[in-house]
Amino acid sequence: MPTTTASAVCTTVGNNILLRLTSGERDVKLKALRELKNQIIGNRTKKLSFLKLGAVPAVAGILSDAVSAVDVADNDENDRIVKDIIVQSAAVLGSFACGFEAGVRAVLDAGADILIQRGCLVEEMPLLKSYMEVVDAGARSLKMIYQSKMAPKYDFLQEENMEFLLSLLNNESENVSGLGASIISHSCKTSLEQKLLFDAGVLKRLTSLLGGSLIQRDASLESIATIFKNNPEVVSQFVGPDTGRTLSCIIEIVKDRFARTRLLASLCLIVIRNASPCYLQDVGIKTKLINNLLELLDDPGRVGDEASFAFSSLIAEKEDMQKLAFEVNGVDKLYNHLQKGSLHPRRFEGILLALADMCSKLECCRSRCLSLQVLKLVVDALAHDSSDVRSAACMCLRSVSRSIKNLSAGSFMNETIVIPLVRLLDDTSTAVQVAALGAISNIVVDFTTRRSTFIRLGGVKLLVQLSKSMDSTIRLNALRALRNLIFLAEDKCKEEIFMELTASLLASLICDPEPSVQEQALALVRNLVDGRINSVEYIFAEDGIILDAVGRQLRIASKAEIEIQGMYVLGNVATGKESHKEAVMDQLLLRAENKAQSCIIKFLQSNDSRLRTAAVWAVLNLTCSSSPGSSGRLVKLHDAGIVSHVKNMVNDPCLDVKVIYFSSLSGFLIVVLMVCLMTSRFSLVQLRVKTALEQFNSFDDSLV
Amino acid sequence: MSKKVITREEWEKKLNDVKIRKEDMNKLVMNFLVTEGYVDAAEKFRMESGTEPDIDLATITDRMAVKKAVQCGNVEDAIEKVNDLNPEILDTNPQLFFHLQQQRLIELIRNGKVEEALEFAQEELAPRGEENQSFLEELERTVALLAFEDVSNCPVGDLLDISQRLKTASEVNAAILTSQSHEKDPKLPSLLKMLLWAQNQLDEKAAYPRINDLATATLEDPAI
Repeated sequence: MPTTTASAVCTTVGNNILLRLTSGERDVKLKALRELKNQIIGNRTKKLSFLKLGAVPAVAGILSDAVSAVDVADNDENDRIVKDIIVQSAAVLGSFACGFEAGVRAVLDAGADILIQRGCLVEEMPLLKSYMEVVDAGARSLKMIYQSKMAPKYDFLQEENMEFLLSLLNNESENVSGLGASIISHSCKTSLEQKLLFDAGVLKRLTSLLGGSLIQRDASLESIATIFKNNPEVVSQFVGPDTGRTLSCIIEIVKDRFARTRLLASLCLIVIRNASPCYLQDVGIKTKLINNLLELLDDPGRVGDEASFAFSSLIAEKEDMQKLAFEVNGVDKLYNHLQKGSLHPRRFEGILLALADMCSKLECCRSRCLSLQVLKLVVDALAHDSSDVRSAACMCLRSVSRSIKNLSAGSFMNETIVIPLVRLLDDTSTAVQVAALGAISNIVVDFTTRRSTFIRLGGVKLLVQLSKSMDSTIRLNALRALRNLIFLAEDKCKEEIFMELTASLLASLICDPEPSVQEQALALVRNLVDGRINSVEYIFAEDGIILDAVGRQLRIASKAEIEIQGMYVLGNVATGKESHKEAVMDQLLLRAENKAQSCIIKFLQSNDSRLRTAAVWAVLNLTCSSSPGSSGRLVKLHDAGIVSHVKNMVNDPCLDVKVIYFSSLSGFLIVVLMVCLMTSRFSLVQLRVKTALEQFNSFDDSLV
Repeated sequence: MSKKVITREEWEKKLNDVKIRKEDMNKLVMNFLVTEGYVDAAEKFRMESGTEPDIDLATITDRMAVKKAVQCGNVEDAIEKVNDLNPEILDTNPQLFFHLQQQRLIELIRNGKVEEALEFAQEELAPRGEENQSFLEELERTVALLAFEDVSNCPVGDLLDISQRLKTASEVNAAILTSQSHEKDPKLPSLLKMLLWAQNQLDEKAAYPRINDLATATLEDPAI
């Protein structure tokens, strides 16, 4: 089919219309406007080609002229035509702005939004007030403009703007009040603006609109949700005789016959719930919301797509909601939708995220997922075209793999899961990489010997590569995955990983500009040197650069999490040979910048019990009586003032520290105190149990 | 298990005990007339019964003009009218817009304007097909009409039926109603469906005088 003929015709027609737009005669102009309008409505291609021909500024010019031409004319015919011109040009501009970014840009550039506002809606034009058609046309067009992402920011802080907005809301016409609501929904972003709107009393009008037509109801629900979103202060002020009325009104609307309205009403309630713990907490309303949203998933259109996102916002981080949802078979229902296949990407993403939220805290949900074979569908989604879907699949996997029972059984460490996951480490999208790292971080915490699978599939190489990324979030998550991979790993495994990592990389990561990266690097080293004595050797590789880095960070760090990990590293090293213990002493005492006070004293006095615990462990390991040099070290520690601080901990409020302290004392050759404190209760067995518990705590922390 | 038998006498007595308000019935009738677009009938009914329509009768006239235009095959005219009524409708309803354009193409083919039809398909419909896979398939079906000599017997011949026009007309009608915050379906059919459903449920438990013909609504004795 010849294409040139068709587009030539199109341009000819287009130019013809534009030519007639410039005509001096009003009725020719009007006719051309109508034709243009009918050409472009619904037709994106035509909008683009007319855009290129400069239609928007031309029409904006016509509108401007027509608005100025309106006067108290006696000539009715003239007035009519001018009015029609305004209506048609507003409709054209509105259509250009409808769901078409280039169009919105052109319309805004031509200043058409202001033109329309002044021309159609401003109260100073008394004549126009009687022209409902004009007002409606103007309102519709502005609504289109305000619905786009590029909508001009509405300045709520200006008093006259607020007054205008209120006049819009109070207007009888559905289109005009709808415009007001639309402006709120799309322009109100900050908590200050929310407060301003609330204080201006818009809620009263919005509540009355809830009883209006379908369009008014929907628009009002969106606006109400916007005003309350993430603003506990505004919600808390939502008291008074009106509150109960508005809330019960919205609760009724949750049962509305139209799906979209039900969704909007649910979203509104969720926003209010999330912003303030006092409202909507009874089981009845919680169950109603959950059931409503699960039912809305059945809607085949956009409403169904969005329902799962609403569901996520309802249950995220809330164990009680997740439990309720589980009890009404939420997992099964979500799975049934997942099974349907050829899902719209948005819907697919939403359902995966909903499942991820369901399984984020509850083992029962995870078990149910696994028994339903959800994993198979999730793994397929890892290779989806849409990056959002891939990302969501990783998050789902991350949640499900928090199941310790299944991690221990090695349910996740198999090729079907690991291969596609590892592939995602190389994904074009950073978000997907980070999400994949999250899932991997859990999966590699494997109590079986299957870590080698991961290593064999090239996982370590990629993780190490990512730990050198420019993006700190990626570095952070890659390190976390490596840290978990090394946790309780076999010697051979550790060796392979260390060879890939290298001592210099580790040392530089410990000194990374990002504190959170430093923390993960230290945690990694902690796991590295944990276990058998020869593991400790790693820290001395390449002239001990790692140990030096650790020592240096401990001395300058100000963040508790970094200090804790660093201290545990030293504590683990101190379980090694004599030379290892001496090296630790070296770091703690000789290298101290302030020779008078070792950093460990600061830790022993810290408000953070975790830090105190870590510090006492180190002291314990340095001075336990089984090694030959321990008495010498004890003296040095005593001279540095460290021992007295440890002694002061007999009344430490944290039980952990007390137990260790008692164990610590058993290492001290201070007989008198040993008798007084009945340390014979605390045997080596107790010590080993404590060690195991301690490691379990650190393992629990390491789960992402 | 034997079913309970209810005689006609018993049944009619039960029915008589149920009270239904005249206003409710009037509203149902008005709702039907308004949704289906019978303006004159609605106006007359309003005068005679005093029932207020839940929609402005003037807008019904506009809507009916659109519906009629489509039913007569004057699609371009229908599009203009819809855009005058509410320019948002076709801009926010890509499926409807496509079906209207498709109908235009069908009318061009029906009138033997082959070249114009091809140009139209190329210029107006092909871009829609590019935007949406399902549109492309429907477009291909429609263009296939041009390939057949004997259109009435070809596989896509149903597109030339009046029923296709009615389908499109119905779609436009529904979209306009929705844009006016009105439900697109009248209530009466739903009530009748419920009646049939309720009877089917009751059939399992009892033998009773049934309504078998909805048009006459006469009670027919149970077959024993």
